[in-house]
Amino acid sequence: MKIIINHSSMQPIYEQIAGQMKAQILKGEIKEDTMLPSVRMLAKEQRISALTVKKAYDTLEAEGFITTVHGKGSFVAPTNRQMRLEERRKEVEAAFELAIRKGKSCGMSKEELTDVFQMILEEM
Amino acid sequence: MLKLRNVKKKYKDFELDCSMEVRPGMITGFVGKNGAGKTTTLKAALGLIRPDGGEVELFGKPAAVLGKAGRTRLGVVLADSGFCGYLTIRDLLPSLERMYPKFDRAAFLEKCNRFHLSDNKKIKDFSTGMRQKLHVLFALSHDARLLILDEPTAGMDVLGRDEILDMFREYMEEKEDRAMLVSSHIAGDLESLCDDIYMINDGHIIFHEETDALLGDYALLKMTREQYQKLDKSHVLRFREENYGYSCLTDQKAFYMDNYPDVTVENNGIDTLITMMIRGERV
Repeated sequence: MKIIINHSSMQPIYEQIAGQMKAQILKGEIKEDTMLPSVRMLAKEQRISALTVKKAYDTLEAEGFITTVHGKGSFVAPTNRQMRLEERRKEVEAAFELAIRKGKSCGMSKEELTDVFQMILEEM
Repeated sequence: MLKLRNVKKKYKDFELDCSMEVRPGMITGFVGKNGAGKTTTLKAALGLIRPDGGEVELFGKPAAVLGKAGRTRLGVVLADSGFCGYLTIRDLLPSLERMYPKFDRAAFLEKCNRFHLSDNKKIKDFSTGMRQKLHVLFALSHDARLLILDEPTAGMDVLGRDEILDMFREYMEEKEDRAMLVSSHIAGDLESLCDDIYMINDGHIIFHEETDALLGDYALLKMTREQYQKLDKSHVLRFREENYGYSCLTDQKAFYMDNYPDVTVENNGIDTLITMMIRGERV
């Protein structure tokens, strides 16, 4: 499990951690029942406060992504298909946004962009 | 683990009056200008000076009843604590073992080796930085439940600091109920290590916040005079006049980012916090 924190970002650190873990869980990169690193261990690796890690874990637990067993640790909870699909849909939206932004930056109009989209859709 | 309740101490030119707490499992940071009362507070916590009022509680009991056994569960590094300069590390070992029943000789020597502290050299011939490291390494070698460290990384270069901080983190990872109180001037150390921060000024605690909130919710706003006049100041803790207009310290970064997209918002660190809390004016 690789978490990369950007200390210069405007996004709070605990959100970055929770967000990245969530995405990896939904993509299936971290399997169900995997034990997560202890709060202190992740705090050590990332060089941040243990309370920040705890906040991230609490967020993930509240949203149903992990379960904590007192005395044992935190484990990835089973995710349902719906959440996974929703995550994939969000990725599609993001890809569209990127393509449209690129198109606009080289001067393409809405009509031109729509034409390109239709053309590719028909070909596939 | 450690509780100071309205601890008061009066000196000729200075008066201490402070309350703070270090909980098990936490690393608490302590900042303040030189002369603000950090060392006095630490000494009061350790019973090295007797307060004029208030209570000090260590490991759940009044500090006065701590006793020898209790004191061996404390790991302490103060600025002027010292081993006898004419001894080498090897000379010290027997006394250390006798004083601290949980002293781990092998682990201690391994740590000294890691930091290139020769065990056969007279301590008075160590550099200041090396002597500092020796104190810190010893504090980490007898299973102390509470570490009280006054500027443990002072004078160390960034690589040495990094290694010592990693050792602190590992120390906390080994046993869940350990705790640390660290005073430091090095913002980066505190931001990457501590769970919460107390700030002392003129003998009083003027600030206490979780590091997470400090780094995530606090920010420095920079704006022109006109922007300042139109600004909703209900979440501004301090402000300062600058040559470009005004700078403001807030604990509600998101509020200003959402409502004032034209105002520059800068991530905040402990150094800015200290400067603004002490030099800034209240709204």
